[in-house]
Amino acid sequence: MTLTLEQLWKTAGFKPNDNQRAAIQHVDGPLYLPAGPGSGKTRVLLWRTVNLIVFQGVSPEDVYLSTFTEKAAFQLREGLRALLGLVTNATGQPYDLAKMYVGTVHSLCQRLLLDRRFYPQRQRGQSPALLDELGQYFFVYKRGRWADLTDGWDDEDIPERIKVLFKGRSASRHAAVTSAISLFNRLSEECADPGDIISRADDETLLHLLEMYGRYLERLAEEGPVARTDFSLLQQKGLQLLERLPQAGQVFKHVIIDEYQDTNTVQERLFFRMASGHKNICVVGDDDQALYRFRGATVENFVEFPARCRRYLGQAPRTIPLNVNYRSRRRIVEFYTGFMGHCDWRKPSPARGVFRVADKDIQAASRDKAVSVIASRRLPPPQACAEMAGLVREILDQGKVENPNQIAFLYPSLKAASVKVMIAALENVGLKVYAPRAGRFIEVDESTAMFGVFLHIFGRPERGEYGGDYKAFHDWLDRASETGAALRKADKGLDSFIRHRQGDLERAKNDYLALMKVVEKKKWDLNATYEVDRMKRALYDAPGLSETGKRTLSSRRFERAIALRLAERATGRPGPAPYTLGYVVARATSIEGNLLDLFYQLCGFDHFRRMFDLAERGEDEGPICNLGLISQYLARYLEEYPAVLTAEQLVDDRFQRLFFASYLFALFRRGESEYEDAEDPFPKGRIPFVTIHQSKGLEFPVVVLGNPRKQGNEPQVVEKLVRPLLDREGEPLDRQAEFDRMRMFYVALSRAQNLLVITHLGGQGNFASEPFASLLDDGMTRIPDFDVASLPAATLKNDDLPKNYSYTGDYLQYQRCPRYYMVFRKYGLVPSRTQTMVFGSLVHRTLDDLHQFLIANRSAA
Amino acid sequence: MSKLNAAEVEARLDAFFEENLKLVQLESGYRLSPESQNVARWQTRLYWRRLREIAERVTDTEVKLSLPEQVTPRTKVKFGIEGIVDIVRENDRVVMYDLKTHEASYIRENKELYRQQLNVYAYIWKNLRGEPLDETAIICTTFPPEWRGILQDEARLAPALAAWEPVIELDFDPDEAADTIRHFAEIVEQIEAGKFAPAPASQLKEHVPGTKSVFGRYVCRNCDARFSCSSYREYALGSSAPTERKFLDYYNDLGAEADREDFIDAALELAPTLADPDEFRD
Repeated sequence: MTLTLEQLWKTAGFKPNDNQRAAIQHVDGPLYLPAGPGSGKTRVLLWRTVNLIVFQGVSPEDVYLSTFTEKAAFQLREGLRALLGLVTNATGQPYDLAKMYVGTVHSLCQRLLLDRRFYPQRQRGQSPALLDELGQYFFVYKRGRWADLTDGWDDEDIPERIKVLFKGRSASRHAAVTSAISLFNRLSEECADPGDIISRADDETLLHLLEMYGRYLERLAEEGPVARTDFSLLQQKGLQLLERLPQAGQVFKHVIIDEYQDTNTVQERLFFRMASGHKNICVVGDDDQALYRFRGATVENFVEFPARCRRYLGQAPRTIPLNVNYRSRRRIVEFYTGFMGHCDWRKPSPARGVFRVADKDIQAASRDKAVSVIASRRLPPPQACAEMAGLVREILDQGKVENPNQIAFLYPSLKAASVKVMIAALENVGLKVYAPRAGRFIEVDESTAMFGVFLHIFGRPERGEYGGDYKAFHDWLDRASETGAALRKADKGLDSFIRHRQGDLERAKNDYLALMKVVEKKKWDLNATYEVDRMKRALYDAPGLSETGKRTLSSRRFERAIALRLAERATGRPGPAPYTLGYVVARATSIEGNLLDLFYQLCGFDHFRRMFDLAERGEDEGPICNLGLISQYLARYLEEYPAVLTAEQLVDDRFQRLFFASYLFALFRRGESEYEDAEDPFPKGRIPFVTIHQSKGLEFPVVVLGNPRKQGNEPQVVEKLVRPLLDREGEPLDRQAEFDRMRMFYVALSRAQNLLVITHLGGQGNFASEPFASLLDDGMTRIPDFDVASLPAATLKNDDLPKNYSYTGDYLQYQRCPRYYMVFRKYGLVPSRTQTMVFGSLVHRTLDDLHQFLIANRSAA
Repeated sequence: MSKLNAAEVEARLDAFFEENLKLVQLESGYRLSPESQNVARWQTRLYWRRLREIAERVTDTEVKLSLPEQVTPRTKVKFGIEGIVDIVRENDRVVMYDLKTHEASYIRENKELYRQQLNVYAYIWKNLRGEPLDETAIICTTFPPEWRGILQDEARLAPALAAWEPVIELDFDPDEAADTIRHFAEIVEQIEAGKFAPAPASQLKEHVPGTKSVFGRYVCRNCDARFSCSSYREYALGSSAPTERKFLDYYNDLGAEADREDFIDAALELAPTLADPDEFRD
């Protein structure tokens, strides 16, 4: 039996419209798919890929299929796997996606850099180690590095000058670091060479920042055991590899990109480089949903795609619009398309055309013309929110949705004051909300309790005379310390444990002083090689040295290690240096157990143990998720700073200052958010509060736009700074804020399936931004006039994509101990001493390298 | 064959190892103690020295096997199964190897467990991919702990190495995979249902086949999450209320003395110089 695409569509229950069909069946040459919201664009991409692989004989490893977020990449990969599974079921033909490039642009760049095909003798490629956002922040912020980066900048107050340039509010070094990084990333995404652009800087501060950027690049490349990179530079490395590679245009036969409106300059160059051989590049996107200017995305890359194709490939793409909306009821579609018409998108004369894909002609598939866009009455926040909460209650009571997580509240930012009012109003009618980005992670109960106990063990750092963030942080330290005190009082065992830990610290400090007295008296050098015969006795006999200190000094095991090192040194082979006297002192005065050990020990006490119990029974996973995040932040600290506490760090409260007043303070100031599960973002039973950015790509039966207001007409500062440095046209700076605002609200409005509700806030200082103000005044149905019974009922969709389970990592691990599996695999707590996973992957990777090397060697012979 | 001699290959192997050591530590953020590093280094070297003939014949490395479109029995949740193997194709003979960092003695005592795994892999390879397969085996990279003292001593190591049998051939039968896949589906259902109770306390006192320990010592004492585990607590403290001393000892037990010393050395070795304590205050 030969299978056809039509049969497959039937099996999958997919009925493509004409344009969708044409797009899926286009297999030769560039293809441009401007797509409206809810037009099935990702589905079209997946079916097109299936068509290529199953019916056009394209091998999966010849396809590059990419998008921009982890979540969207997961949908692509697993969606494709599921569709190909249908084929396998019908024909018995299996498809192996292991070698296919499908994922986020970042992950695929990393994969390119490691791909053995591009290196001699099939060696593993050299991919630089990736710094995530927080890692990049600490990298620049570290005092020594900052001094190095700003060297030659003869000014006493650098943060103040950066503040002025960025029109910021704070002249802290934290603010300066944040601003500098935003500029660095933008430059990286533009592939700007600091040497080339520096002459164009007309501002002295900017000039210095460009010099800093150049030095930043150097330091990333040269410091540490392997070269490092950040997210923005990673793509540049990928591009550089492809530019060096003569066969770059032949590696992939098809390059397919989803969400193309989020493409930045370096990514565009990367994609066209890959498509330069076969010229099969297919892009799909919606310029009206472009949200990522602040990450360097340039919507023109999408709007001008046909021209770019002609320039890079010498060929115009075929354009097929996907303009039928299958998501929303008719009046919702009419509302948001009308909304976009309220902005003047024309290019300033004499140029012609618009800053938008013109003539979209978005059509609703729905014929349901009943009211589906409503607003609260214009009331002060408490009353308007109460009215909204009443509506939500009624929708749930009438069974118009099956679960509260089908009603989403969308906001430009969840930090706005009106969010709290709305949450209170919903809670007031007995509803629970889920708002992970509304608060700081560090202030959640689990973190306050854990660090509260830490404060009792190590002591609280002193509070200085400052206000602002600093004061807010120290107020949190006070609260944490009070929580710690209450826990101690309630749990005698915990109290006794804390006292013993304090005793350990005291012991280590005393031993350190005792040993250092001997060292000073003997005039020994701490950097000198440790000589057991000459030094051990005197150290051992140091007056006041504790039993623990004596035991550590006379460890047989350690003495064997000392002897081994000296012997290895004598052979002349490269190897570790012999132990120094300083090392021996540090070892003898170190604290058994690091911060992660302490974390796990504390988890044994009732207050924290209950959180594990809740998760074990499947009752509530919130608390253990937050414990997981605490363990990750502790692990990060241990990566950057001494992982073992030695007495030296306890002198002058160094540890308290570094851990609490510096490290935790930095996390606090950055406002690191609570735990979020990318695969399962909205827990059942709670109403999700999400930012409009988070809502992208999602849909909900009921959407509430929490506050139709966003102010400001100033472009982003970074935009203004880089524009004169680069040779590029773009949207006029004075229109960007307006365009971005329109696009953001467009995303919000187009998430709704059955009902779109706008909160119309009145009272002092509240107003709706245009064009909302006009639209709301134009005969909008208000909540009291809306009949909830007219709303169609939404069912819960089970479109969860299948997850993959590993035989060893999941199946065997779960059988060995389900709880171990839960703690480390499901909730990602970072282990302290359990090292098997790293050990295993080290051995496996090395043997894989060996096999690859031998294979290459054989074929060369 | 190649013109490289064994020592040259071993030098390359050492270089691969050092590079990977840096990378995996950076990527995972965990540090391997010097002792663990050394053990891992020697595992790769001894693999090469003892199993050179296999290493030189591997044709497909790290083959990712996947079995899509599985469904849990009651909740009907879809899932897929994945695994990784190495393949040797030679003169019409195809052998599948699964590399494990376990001890051979452990695997020999728990053969059935590994046979089930190879059955599933064989099923994917043979029945699903339609590839030929003649043999399956586990390769254990972990050498007996008593060798640690003789690794540098060529005269004593060589005979031990010659007597070492790290390859365990297991007969496979793809037709038996169905039972294992069914059981796999049950386990996935439990995972998806959020059932995570620990192994029962009684099991912690049971001997683990192929080892000299009971479960509570062999498995649990190496688990960081043991302090908050009800089964481990019962195993370590009994069911009656402990004295304060006993209670503190329970919490202070961070593993065997040798491991603890290693742990401190690993951290001290890698410790950066003292940081500015006011690093992020301004």
